[in-house]
Amino acid sequence: MISQPRRLLTTPFWTGITNGPRTYSAYCQNLEERIPWRTLTGRQHFYLDHEAYVAFGENLPTFKPRPEAAKVTRDLEKSRVPGGALVLNYLTPHGKWGIHSTYGDTLRMKTLSRGIEPVWINDRDAGLLGVEDNDWVEVYNDHGVVCTRACVSARIPRGLCFIYHAPERTLSVPKSPERGGKRAGGHNSLTRVRLKPLFMIGGYAQFTYAFNYWGPPGVNRDTFVVVKKLARPEF
Amino acid sequence: MDVRAQVAMVFHLDKCIGCHTCSVACKNVWTDRPGAEYMWWNNVETKPGTGYPTRWEDQERYKGGWKVGKGGELGLRSQNKVDAFLKLFYNPNQPGLADYYEPWTYRYGDLFDAAGGDDQPTAVPISQITGEEMKIESGPNWDDDLSGSPLYAENDINLESLTDEERAGLFEIERISMMYLPRICNHCANPSCVASCPSGALYKRGEDGIVLIDQDKCRGWRACVSACPYKKIYYNWKTGKSEKCILCFPRLETGQAPACFHSCVGRIRYLGVLLYDADRVAEAGKVPNDALVESYRSCLLDPNDPDVRAAARMSGVSEEFIVAARSSPVWKYVMEWKLALPLHPEFRTFPMLFYVPPLMPIMGKIEGGIYEHDAKGLFGDFESARIPIQYLANLFAAGNRGIIEGVLKKLIAVRHFKRVQGHDDVADEYVKRLLREAQLTPEQAEGIYELTTIATVQDRFVMPPIQREEAMPAGCSAEECKGSCGLGRTESPERGG
Repeated sequence: MISQPRRLLTTPFWTGITNGPRTYSAYCQNLEERIPWRTLTGRQHFYLDHEAYVAFGENLPTFKPRPEAAKVTRDLEKSRVPGGALVLNYLTPHGKWGIHSTYGDTLRMKTLSRGIEPVWINDRDAGLLGVEDNDWVEVYNDHGVVCTRACVSARIPRGLCFIYHAPERTLSVPKSPERGGKRAGGHNSLTRVRLKPLFMIGGYAQFTYAFNYWGPPGVNRDTFVVVKKLARPEF
Repeated sequence: MDVRAQVAMVFHLDKCIGCHTCSVACKNVWTDRPGAEYMWWNNVETKPGTGYPTRWEDQERYKGGWKVGKGGELGLRSQNKVDAFLKLFYNPNQPGLADYYEPWTYRYGDLFDAAGGDDQPTAVPISQITGEEMKIESGPNWDDDLSGSPLYAENDINLESLTDEERAGLFEIERISMMYLPRICNHCANPSCVASCPSGALYKRGEDGIVLIDQDKCRGWRACVSACPYKKIYYNWKTGKSEKCILCFPRLETGQAPACFHSCVGRIRYLGVLLYDADRVAEAGKVPNDALVESYRSCLLDPNDPDVRAAARMSGVSEEFIVAARSSPVWKYVMEWKLALPLHPEFRTFPMLFYVPPLMPIMGKIEGGIYEHDAKGLFGDFESARIPIQYLANLFAAGNRGIIEGVLKKLIAVRHFKRVQGHDDVADEYVKRLLREAQLTPEQAEGIYELTTIATVQDRFVMPPIQREEAMPAGCSAEECKGSCGLGRTESPERGG
């Protein structure tokens, strides 16, 4: 294991078959070994007929609009929104080169990623902020603060911004004027855990906890931040 | 007929995901040295975009490559004898560090040694050149994924001949599109870098066509840096010599694929032998721009022709190379199927790397909120392509749209040809018409499918043993060159006292 990492066994909770030279692909066990899907019907299905899901309107995967900052997410009750700043929806998606705890803070990868994990922002939103590509910005809400540089892109929709996860908090992190000159945080300083009531359902077919199988969801799109220009970063 | 063998490469751009793994592999193997920090012998660019060094394609600024003179003769755009003499001490065509980027690292020690305080310490960026604190303002892929950006993509020189309407589409949300362009040295058949070197340090290897810089002879004039239109020669500020991609010849000589090829995640690269007629290369570069692709194709020789093989033997090409040329994936893509095209043939250096232009982001578009390939049937609607055909023509065909359309028609036909084998939503007759219009036989379409999608490394990398020991010049014995990490012996120039 130490000299050469290798696969151990096909995990019972994942549905791929990774014996021999095969790479992981979902549902191989169900198809090839004719194991029923672990649902009430034994098949793949999108419809969830649990009464709580019905009550929440999540019995079918349907479009849900972005939540509202003031009424729903309440991320900005203690944070000021000065003139020239913008309130944007905030996301922390998978990056171009890694997911979750993949270590990306090597010099080589930093060189290919502008030397920092930037905040991606729409070009017209950036224009409203008076921010040009590569300018420093301060991104904050009631949970925390991030100081980083802006990557201005027309490919980002208006009204939102994102920082790829997950940089460490060691390289080129300025202090935050908005938070009394304390060192700013990382991408997850701005998010919070929200426990979704639907995940308290248990003992009902596929809604049953097992390691790596059923766990708390992400809070994608459920965070709002204030973005403003940071004229002079102090380290 | 003077037959030469060339180790050539094909990049299938539909398969490139822009991950830069090739760049990292190359950097780790070859340019992780003092003086070479800023060099990326292999880099990947987002197109439309400005690239590295910035706007390298702008030959009004950099004056690289060849041009046809008033008398119809081929001459260097800069760094001919007169020009080189006049620019000895000041060469405005030379890219500066700002055109590449200032390489940086971080003062990691601060994480351990910072004075006590309320906050955790941070490692600030410092220059790898001066060691001073610096602002990071550029990088080797600074406009990575930034297609549609008014700062970068809009300054792409290949957009210049597009209509206002075509340009506007590229910068409209939901129409923005992009592609990736991996680049290494093109190991050209008529390299302007070799022609420009006042010290005779640059040479094209006889047995495989790899272009190299003799580190003993190089005096650091940097004429080659200016003369290379692809900006693929870099000056090492530490050794005082110029350096470039060596096509990983130490790996090739031991039967291994180049590091960039070997590490490619999308398996977009193909490497094999091409035979060409060196007698015709200079003449072929004198035709008008829109005839250049055909003109260069006409210099490539069919290894299946017994006359060509006999001529190759006469010219001293080894039997192993001749055999390898017959199963070369590059020959298939470039000549048999005519899918792979040279990058910027109008620079007239006859590049020996070829690109299959991408189809997917080009044809896909949003129609009434639904992503579709084409509402009007998949053929004949190049006008509304997501990336204008003219843009691709400016990259790969010196502006000739017909060449690009021919390639895209083939790519579309192959997709339908395979679709009809597994599904019944395409009519047989329709597929036959597509193949006919694309000038493909079903066998060719199957061959394109196989080499594109399910080819193994043995199909993609067809390389004969290189007879270096036979081609080695006297005075440089194998023993002497051993362990010199591919750069030959390096002796730093003496400077001052």
